[in-house]
Amino acid sequence: MRIDLSLLVPYLPFMLEGALLTAQVCVLALLGSLIVGALMAVARTSANSLLRRAASIYADLFRNVPFIVQLFFFYYGLPEIGIYIDAFTTGVVALSIAGGAFTSDVIRSGILAIEPGIIEAAQVSGLSKRKTFTKIVLPVALRTSVRPMGSVFINLILTSSILSTITLNELTGTAKIVASDTFKPFEVYVVLLIAYATLTYLVSLLIAALHRRLNRDLGEAVR
Amino acid sequence: MRYTEFTPFDIVLLAQGLGVSVGLFLATTVIGLLIGTLWAVVRFYRVPVLAQVITFVAELLKNSPVLVQLFLVFFGFPAFFHINLGPVEAAVITLSGNTAAFVYVIAVSAIESIGRDQIEAARAFGLTKWQVLRHIIAPQAMAFAIGPLTGLLVNQLQVTSLISVIGVMDLTKIGNILNLRTLKPFIVWAVVGVLYYLAAKLIAFAGATLERRLRAHTAWKGL
Repeated sequence: MRIDLSLLVPYLPFMLEGALLTAQVCVLALLGSLIVGALMAVARTSANSLLRRAASIYADLFRNVPFIVQLFFFYYGLPEIGIYIDAFTTGVVALSIAGGAFTSDVIRSGILAIEPGIIEAAQVSGLSKRKTFTKIVLPVALRTSVRPMGSVFINLILTSSILSTITLNELTGTAKIVASDTFKPFEVYVVLLIAYATLTYLVSLLIAALHRRLNRDLGEAVR
Repeated sequence: MRYTEFTPFDIVLLAQGLGVSVGLFLATTVIGLLIGTLWAVVRFYRVPVLAQVITFVAELLKNSPVLVQLFLVFFGFPAFFHINLGPVEAAVITLSGNTAAFVYVIAVSAIESIGRDQIEAARAFGLTKWQVLRHIIAPQAMAFAIGPLTGLLVNQLQVTSLISVIGVMDLTKIGNILNLRTLKPFIVWAVVGVLYYLAAKLIAFAGATLERRLRAHTAWKGL
């Protein structure tokens, strides 16, 4: 019962490749879920009740169904209707859609938190509806929702480990291979656990710094 | 002979899978609540060393993917500690630990939500630390924690879907089996998704009802 980590050293480059793939997936999925989430947040705060209802059904559905079920739905289902995409693309798409549901919540509350006075001031100044939204509402909403968005992003990183179940060899997938190669599953997964925890900790530090920087002119209220 | 069509027996199969998922969810929720609360009490009493160890373990469990924790327990523990561990035991250990870590955080913030003046007043009346915890803090903390707990449990139900990866016959695994047999991914995963969705809604409803009960004493009763 002794932990000997030197055994894993030759496998480090291989696992780094997996980590790189995880990073790629996460960054792409972050962008995807930002776009999906922003669009859905706009729909959920729009004046059109049909649009509002459709968007909240989307968010409700994708937050209450396990990610692995959504993933299998896309991975096994899409070829059925003639769409052949690889595991990487499927993973990014599924993560973006699931992440978008959570992101839309965050941005929506960011939009709703804007004081009506600001919007009225913009209208009085003669800005069109569209200009008010893109120049006033969205920048403020995005800026104040950096921190909650950060926890969504960290969740995204943790969720990306599930992509190993659809044959995508990201960090968890490569660790699985190393574990069965070396017959040292305990050591491999302990290292992996600590690696993920360190990674998400660093990301959370980064987000806190970004949040402080973007909101530096808002005073103490948001710190 | 191949049964590629759906048969009435598939409904029984799905019900069995749902039963396993819900059963494991309930069992791990109870264990997780007990352990998490115990950890919070240890922190409340400021037990040296133990309190720091618990905080560290909880952070590690919160910030790493459940899938990796599952692999560590299922593949790592038997290899390292030379014990026999079935998939169900591994699933119970992992999910209980994961739930406990999140419950711990909620319980700590619930305890801290109660004003110092109340505790000081109770101590001045001669109540022991345990009596303060039992009669002053616990009832109020419970009402405070029930909201976040409901959110957590809805999430933990979805996390149970991951145990299908290590071979527990839960709802997701049954979905996998049906998918491989009938090759109708859209129908199978949609049905599985709907079942999870309904279960999640049931938990949310139960949580909201309980919260209303616990908060009844603060509700406006009229003059």
